Amino acid sequence: MTHAPTRPRRVSPEEVRARIGQPEAMVRAKVKDRIDNYFRQFIAHSPFLAMATADAAGRADCSPRGDYPGFVKVLDERTLALPDRPGNKIADSFRNLAENDGVGLCFLIPGVREVLRVNGSGYVTDEPDVLVRMRTEARKPELAIVVEVAEVYFHCGRALLRSRLWDPASRALAEEMPSMGEIAAAQFGADVDPGLLEAAVEDSYRKLY
Amino acid sequence: MQQTVVEHIDRVAEDVVALTLRAAAGELAPWEPGAHVDLSLPNWLTRQYSLCGDPADRHAYRVAVRYDPLSRGGSEYVHRFLRPGRTLPVSPPRNHFPLVAAPRYLFLAGGIGITPLLPMLRAVTAAGLPATLVYAGPSADRMPFADELRRRHGDRVRIVETGRQGRPDLAALAAGLEAGTLVYCCGPAAMLAAADAAFPAGRLHAERFQPVARTFGPDTAFEAVCARSGDTVAVPADESLLDALAHAGHPLPSGCREGVCGSCEVAVLDGVPEHRDDISGPEGRMYPCVSRALSPRLVLDL
Repeated sequence: MTHAPTRPRRVSPEEVRARIGQPEAMVRAKVKDRIDNYFRQFIAHSPFLAMATADAAGRADCSPRGDYPGFVKVLDERTLALPDRPGNKIADSFRNLAENDGVGLCFLIPGVREVLRVNGSGYVTDEPDVLVRMRTEARKPELAIVVEVAEVYFHCGRALLRSRLWDPASRALAEEMPSMGEIAAAQFGADVDPGLLEAAVEDSYRKLY
Repeated sequence: MQQTVVEHIDRVAEDVVALTLRAAAGELAPWEPGAHVDLSLPNWLTRQYSLCGDPADRHAYRVAVRYDPLSRGGSEYVHRFLRPGRTLPVSPPRNHFPLVAAPRYLFLAGGIGITPLLPMLRAVTAAGLPATLVYAGPSADRMPFADELRRRHGDRVRIVETGRQGRPDLAALAAGLEAGTLVYCCGPAAMLAAADAAFPAGRLHAERFQPVARTFGPDTAFEAVCARSGDTVAVPADESLLDALAHAGHPLPSGCREGVCGSCEVAVLDGVPEHRDDISGPEGRMYPCVSRALSPRLVLDL
């Protein structure tokens, strides 16, 4: 096998447009700037989203957020709030939002093919009236991210159809993955027992809040 | 859990809807005035509501839900997204607010606190006993069932629109209280506090939707022994007994997590619980969402 001498070739935006064509008027028209009742209903039933942010230099980050359906609160037709739950305390999203307020969200509902997309600008808040709506298991988050909505729309279901994401048979893929204990033992390269690491991972998952 | 179907959603005040929940099959569990149930909503939240319909109707329950702008997602879901035809699991009724026999009654309701008192007033008047209802709310359009009550019970019902008339004078009501009268009060914290101050403790029965603000000693660690499995669960100072049990593989049902609903009730076989709830449950029971231990060890019937 020979090594490729260069990176895969780069295509200019003009060339991209020439290859894929123009979006149909219908596709443009579906992008709204307000959260109507259908968008709101989707958010109220969504237990999971991925949030993209970027720092001042444009270096991007994407992180998952999940909780009970409706964990993201609609404050009004232009504003959402996401609770900050305990995680790895790296706080990339917070740091990024301080430098660059751009934020993109993809909401999923298990079983629904379409994805709800929200783009806008975000900032961090500790407003009590917002946090009180996010209490779970007798705790409330210390902080929340407010997203001011610029664009909101349903993304068509092809990606989820092609990926068979909600097909129960797709869960068999998980069996092909080694446990996180095995992976961590190999990646850390230390002489640690994968079984112990796996037990530690499981233990940390028992406390979700 | 009993399966019901949402049959009707009726707007009964500006910010209140009443749900009629029809049994999916057979009869629903019986109940008495003062009882409440847990609704398991489609968004995985469990919420408690007082039964406000007719206990004689064994095929349907009725509850009323006020929209709370600071909702965690329960009342908002019911108001915005619940639709007739949806199946809704409902717990068997529990009653922490039972009607005790008395020669006469005074009922005090504040806003949505009217719900448990509706079947009480109906039962008491059906038994031919004298009863008065003082029902306070900001304005008539925000007071569910006000018209129905006036129609059905006439001058036994006094509607107080606090926006125009101010709060009802509980001290005057207490001064005029006839011998043997029992007072049943359900409403916002301010009304319950006023009732506590105005009426003798032995006469007043109150139901709370929110915990009373109180202070307790510092949280300390203790052990919970699950008698049936023999498991010993360490409860750290910064974790509730309910959470510690769940993390150790002994999940209990839970609702309010504030010591008012009673969903997480568990029997105590040994040890001394520190009751921090507002339920005043039966002897030998505790509510581990808020209650802890005075002894280093509790033995639970789990």
